[in-house]
Amino acid sequence: MTKTFLIGIKDLRLVFRDRAALILMLVAPFLLTLGMGLVTGRFSGNTSGIADIPVVIVNQDDGELSTALVDLFNSEDLADLVEPTLSVSPEAARLQVEEDKAAAAIIIPAGFTRSIIPQQEDFAAGNTPEVVEIELYANPTRPTSAGIIKSILDEFMSRVEEGSIGAQTSILQMMISGRITPEQAQAAGEEMGKNLQNAAESDSLSITLNSTTQGEEVEFDVLAYLAPGMALMFLMYTVSYGGRSILAEKTQGTLPRLLVSPTNSAQILGGKVFGILLTGIAQMLILIGGTSLLFQLKWGDPLGVLILVLVAVFGATGWGMLITALARTTAQVANTGSAVMLIFGILGGSFIQLDQMPASIQTMSRITPNSWALDGFTTLALGGTLADLSAPITALLTMGILLFLASVALFGKKNLVQK
Amino acid sequence: MKKIFAIAWKDAIIRFASSSEFLFFIILPLIFTFLVAGGTPSGQPTNNRTRLVVVDQANNTISKEIIAELENSTAAYPDVLSLEDAEAEFDARRTDAVLIIPADLDLASIQNGTAELEFRQQPNNMDASIAKRAAQTAIRSVSSSINAANMALDEAKANGTFESSEAEQAYFDDALKLAKDMQADTPERITIIEGNTTEEVDYDPRANSSAGQMVTWVFIPLFGISALFAYERQQGTLRRLLTTPTTKAVFLLGTISGQVVMALVQMTLLILFGMFALDLNWGREPLALFVLLTCAALAAGAIGTAMGTFVKTEGQASGLSIMAGMVMALLGGCWYPLELFPAAVQTIVKILPTTWAMQGLIDILLRNASLPGILLESGVLLGFAALFLSIGVMRFRYE
Repeated sequence: MTKTFLIGIKDLRLVFRDRAALILMLVAPFLLTLGMGLVTGRFSGNTSGIADIPVVIVNQDDGELSTALVDLFNSEDLADLVEPTLSVSPEAARLQVEEDKAAAAIIIPAGFTRSIIPQQEDFAAGNTPEVVEIELYANPTRPTSAGIIKSILDEFMSRVEEGSIGAQTSILQMMISGRITPEQAQAAGEEMGKNLQNAAESDSLSITLNSTTQGEEVEFDVLAYLAPGMALMFLMYTVSYGGRSILAEKTQGTLPRLLVSPTNSAQILGGKVFGILLTGIAQMLILIGGTSLLFQLKWGDPLGVLILVLVAVFGATGWGMLITALARTTAQVANTGSAVMLIFGILGGSFIQLDQMPASIQTMSRITPNSWALDGFTTLALGGTLADLSAPITALLTMGILLFLASVALFGKKNLVQK
Repeated sequence: MKKIFAIAWKDAIIRFASSSEFLFFIILPLIFTFLVAGGTPSGQPTNNRTRLVVVDQANNTISKEIIAELENSTAAYPDVLSLEDAEAEFDARRTDAVLIIPADLDLASIQNGTAELEFRQQPNNMDASIAKRAAQTAIRSVSSSINAANMALDEAKANGTFESSEAEQAYFDDALKLAKDMQADTPERITIIEGNTTEEVDYDPRANSSAGQMVTWVFIPLFGISALFAYERQQGTLRRLLTTPTTKAVFLLGTISGQVVMALVQMTLLILFGMFALDLNWGREPLALFVLLTCAALAAGAIGTAMGTFVKTEGQASGLSIMAGMVMALLGGCWYPLELFPAAVQTIVKILPTTWAMQGLIDILLRNASLPGILLESGVLLGFAALFLSIGVMRFRYE
């Protein structure tokens, strides 16, 4: 046990004396995290997310429904989501969209309300009102914001239509069943028309939507996603570097020397693996400490972070051992290790968010320790605790065990650590 | 000339001695270009709406109608999961909102006003609010005919009584059918017109990925010239050159030109991938493209040469090349569009050659620039090349 420990400590010391290794283990992830923070505006106070969507409204109608629509956009309920301004000119409103000063312009033409709520003279003349459409002039460069404005309009129109259909159904059905005469229907229609404005402003649904807010409010720091992403990517470099040292010891002749001492091959291999684990843990903890101190980054529940670091390093070390077991030379380990580091980096979400990727790529990402560990670190940064990490911890432990077993089998076949 | 060619050829042999070099020369750049472009040949993101996790415990016509209405929403899209998965995602904050449609949701429960759906949302979360609005719209759309029939029944009751509960139900059923017919005939009352907004941010995921990954994967090996010098120095072959009639200038020219030619070959392959796999119009201005790529390769090669005079070992040079290449690519807008960076950062990153290379490539690809349009970028890149080559030549030592 002491020998295993000593070999591990010796490897740890060697790594931290190698300036070239330190560049990729510590300097590169730190600088890339810094760069990510700069380009995302994390250090200049920029916030991400959708809020205060600028929208211009032109109300040429001035009827009850158009007023209700303008009131809706100015309501307390939408205060954080939209920032409406009123304009009298449709051309000016469209220009604001074309100059990218607004996500959309809503132009309510004259006659909109009357097209849905006929007036007394319309009933008297027996006129069927023409359909008058609201124009949504959408900014194609802000599809998400324009889509949200469209959904607000849709909801408003669905309320109006619901009221309108309800009124018409009531009157027609009463007429069909002979409960009222056509003359009474006109009076009833006028009365119900007046209630339509209330329907447009009403939130009532025939299906109740019980809304509950759960959990504590947490402001997500974008760096809490980017920093672990970079640390995990360069962790893959560290584990392949460690694996390379096994082959390097053989070519440099230090492995045969170790084997002539009273040290068995299991102790040597165990010591090498222990060294890789120690180096990976040290690397992750230094990066976590550094980013916490310099960027005031909150990684979350300390116990959760520590356990996640341990299992992430274990899973990654499994990959490092497999690469070493499959390679014949140190150069092969270095090249394959660098390639795996980069592929796992992009597949694991270090460069790009995977949410928008096709399902096949999201599934493929699950072979990487990066993806599972990044999930765990994001959960912790959002206020989760160790109890919420069962899936990433189980996945990383399973990954590590399977890869270690495969590596041991391959090492056995190659007789790498034999006297 | 013969010596320059011989040096370049020797470097090519050293570089491609291991077949794994092809991983970095072409395979990884292609994988990265494809993935950064969105993982699809069209480069279009699969969705830009807010995700709403839906648990469908009812699994009946009404619940399916609600989910179908959510599919049509412009603000949110449904992702149907089991209750267990949804709760796990919600608790881990991987989703902002969950809509639970209970097993007892049916026509009767809506008719008698007892139908209830559960909506769980993270606190003070805008995406959750957007999803809630979309859910309300979908519910209203599905239930409006039932609501109308209920309203008709209430009005009828206000105007008289029903002989029996069967008569009342028949009245409701007739009204429901009438309301559904009316709902189907409802005219469209919103016209959507797409504005002629000029894109301030020229962004096409495929174009940005193709250009950005080309700069990234070509700059890193060109910075790696430093590793080549360190390797030769460690091997003692640079000292041997002292015994031959080869000047410092010839040696540097041979090394840099060889790597620049290899970079041009690599860029040609990546451009062909962009043209045929991602349907990008790289071939529109071939002269401008050639000039810009050559200037970019010269600038990166010169930086690699200068770096080679500072590093001691091949390992250091290799690590430094990868790190510098990645950091410069990130800050130069090769991974994310430069226009999205904070204004101050956009100004600062102009000190990097990757910024100018990326700017020039995007000018050609998205802004239809021809040779005069990229002269500034090419000139700046040549300036970088001159500056760093001078440093490299001044500091270059055989030992």
